[in-house]
Amino acid sequence: MESLNLLLDGFSQALTPMNLLWVFVGAFLGTAVGVLPGLGSSMAVALLLPVTFSLDPVGAFIMFAGVYFGGLFGDSTMGILMNTPGGSTAIATTFEGHRMAKTGRAPQALATSAIGAFIGGLIATTLVVFFAPKLAEIAVLFGPAEYFALAIFAFIATASVVSDSVVKGLSALAIGLMLAVVGIDGISGASRFTADVPQLFDGVSIIVITVGLLALGEVFHVAARIHRDPKLSAVTVSGRPYLSKREFREALPAWLRGTAYGVPFGVIPVGGAEVPTFMAYGTERRLDRKRKMPQFGKGAIRGVAAPEAAGNATSGTAMGALLALGLPTSATAAIMLAAFQQYGLQPGPMLFERNSELVWALLASLFVGLVMLLVLNLPFAPLWAKLLLIPKPYLYAGITVFCGLGVYATSAAVSDLLIVLLIGALGFVLRRYGFPLAPIMIGVVLGPLAETSLRNAMMSSGGEVSVLVESPVTWALYGVLGLVLLYTVWKRLNTRVRQDV
Amino acid sequence: MSVDAQSAATTGQTDGGTGGTGGKPEDGFWVGRSGLMVAGILVVIGLYLTHGIVTMDVPEGAKIPGPKFFPVLITIATFVLAGLLVVQGLRHPEPVPQDATNYRMHSDWKSLGIVFGAFLAFALLLVPVGWLLSAALLFWCVSHALGSKRPLFDIGLALVFSSCIQLAFGAGLGLTLPGGILEGIYG
Repeated sequence: MESLNLLLDGFSQALTPMNLLWVFVGAFLGTAVGVLPGLGSSMAVALLLPVTFSLDPVGAFIMFAGVYFGGLFGDSTMGILMNTPGGSTAIATTFEGHRMAKTGRAPQALATSAIGAFIGGLIATTLVVFFAPKLAEIAVLFGPAEYFALAIFAFIATASVVSDSVVKGLSALAIGLMLAVVGIDGISGASRFTADVPQLFDGVSIIVITVGLLALGEVFHVAARIHRDPKLSAVTVSGRPYLSKREFREALPAWLRGTAYGVPFGVIPVGGAEVPTFMAYGTERRLDRKRKMPQFGKGAIRGVAAPEAAGNATSGTAMGALLALGLPTSATAAIMLAAFQQYGLQPGPMLFERNSELVWALLASLFVGLVMLLVLNLPFAPLWAKLLLIPKPYLYAGITVFCGLGVYATSAAVSDLLIVLLIGALGFVLRRYGFPLAPIMIGVVLGPLAETSLRNAMMSSGGEVSVLVESPVTWALYGVLGLVLLYTVWKRLNTRVRQDV
Repeated sequence: MSVDAQSAATTGQTDGGTGGTGGKPEDGFWVGRSGLMVAGILVVIGLYLTHGIVTMDVPEGAKIPGPKFFPVLITIATFVLAGLLVVQGLRHPEPVPQDATNYRMHSDWKSLGIVFGAFLAFALLLVPVGWLLSAALLFWCVSHALGSKRPLFDIGLALVFSSCIQLAFGAGLGLTLPGGILEGIYG
């Protein structure tokens, strides 16, 4: 029960009045950004990242815990009320959630989603507390070849599973890797692709890339479409935001099943929670068809409960994978990794030994963040819906100003403002043609890890490529990757056949 | 990298006659194929990487595999992927929406241009003019581009917004934002 004691220590650090304030502010701002049209949870984290830099590490991560879960909840709120999910993980929730909202049960749908997020996050975080140290112990055995295998796994899985086209996913990945190699090479000291501009010697900051791709790119996207697309309107929220006992009993098994789907996927780097949310949704629908009175299509509470729990469970265990392996399994986790690096911390097996206090404070703050969100969101969901009434021009004008603020505040360099503008334009073009953005983030964050581990492995072997596939761990990783790819191919062929019929 | 923005503008014009006449097949080669632009961006990136690899000064005694090794792999991947994107773009053009829109292009390049220009102006004016005015200008331009109809009210709102941020972040969280020409007044 060593973990439990450490966790209690963590709680004592996390539960100071000041930190409670930060988690409150984080959950509040995270939900607010997540609720706003077009902005998802990863954007909430990206935009608020610079704000946290003026805090001490514990306070910053505690605030992040709030932002992270708050953003996820905001994604679903948008989806339920306006039929436009804020992030890809909220798509599955939207189907039944919006139907519930249209039949006047919006508050119940929001409550189901809030409780589902709470249950999924709670179970996943508990598992992380008990298993992350074990995972870290195993990960100590990892050498450069194993880390290279992990990075390749993340690259290929993200690029092929998430996007509808493998070529598009890989292209996005290549752009991310290209951004990652700019700057002084850490091993040899050579200046690479900097065109002798001193501002580029440190490379392109991950914050600049995130804000440019996700935030400014979104503003450009809206600017290009706002006079074109029909206006969306939100369903008004009124009535009791609580679930009746019957509704609660009906949703409970779905919450638990959703969590079961979500937990394992947080550790596998396939780029986020889309896969488990859809699997959870599909299962509930199949189960529903066997019942006496099928609810799906009419606003089924289980269709909201299961994907929501799955999504948050994935995010919870993704945090475990990030802490124990140093491996970001989603775009949001990638930004969190950048936040760690900003404080001079390298997530991974050594983190539990070197910065044990901070890790446990962070884990404790995840629990605090979850409770805070339940308190904030269950009764105040109708208030969040009011945010949808801010006129679009002012909303996006404000976001643009915040992009400028965030980038300038972290570096105080005008050159970064120009780079963010170019990356924003690039992000717009990629979005316009349906390229996924998550592989870029994964490429930027894991690119350096892939490169250093590849070169270190090959240097130690004297240039032999076979060193990359010598240990059993690498066999296992490449084997699982092969299975994932086979499954993807099988699924694609399968859906193609079904469409033809 | 500014090539990206330029190619964005020019290709935007070439996807010209798209929606106007209802997207008949004889609208030209570029209909639904403006996506080839991304392949172009990849080629530009590949060329930049190639140029960088060729001109790179590798320090004496750098071990093998050196600093060029990984970029070479990326460069090869970039060109291969650009080729595949071209093939994909030629074989499967983007479907042209058939709904009754009378827009010349899929994207609204005027609004987009204003937002882009406003951010560029913000970046260049921030230090000489100061946060308060340049951020207010950015806010005003973006809200105008996105269809706000009250220019005078917006000026006030923009100034209030940028001063609130200056107060909250400058005085509250201790971030230094440039004062510019208004330096002495509230500095």
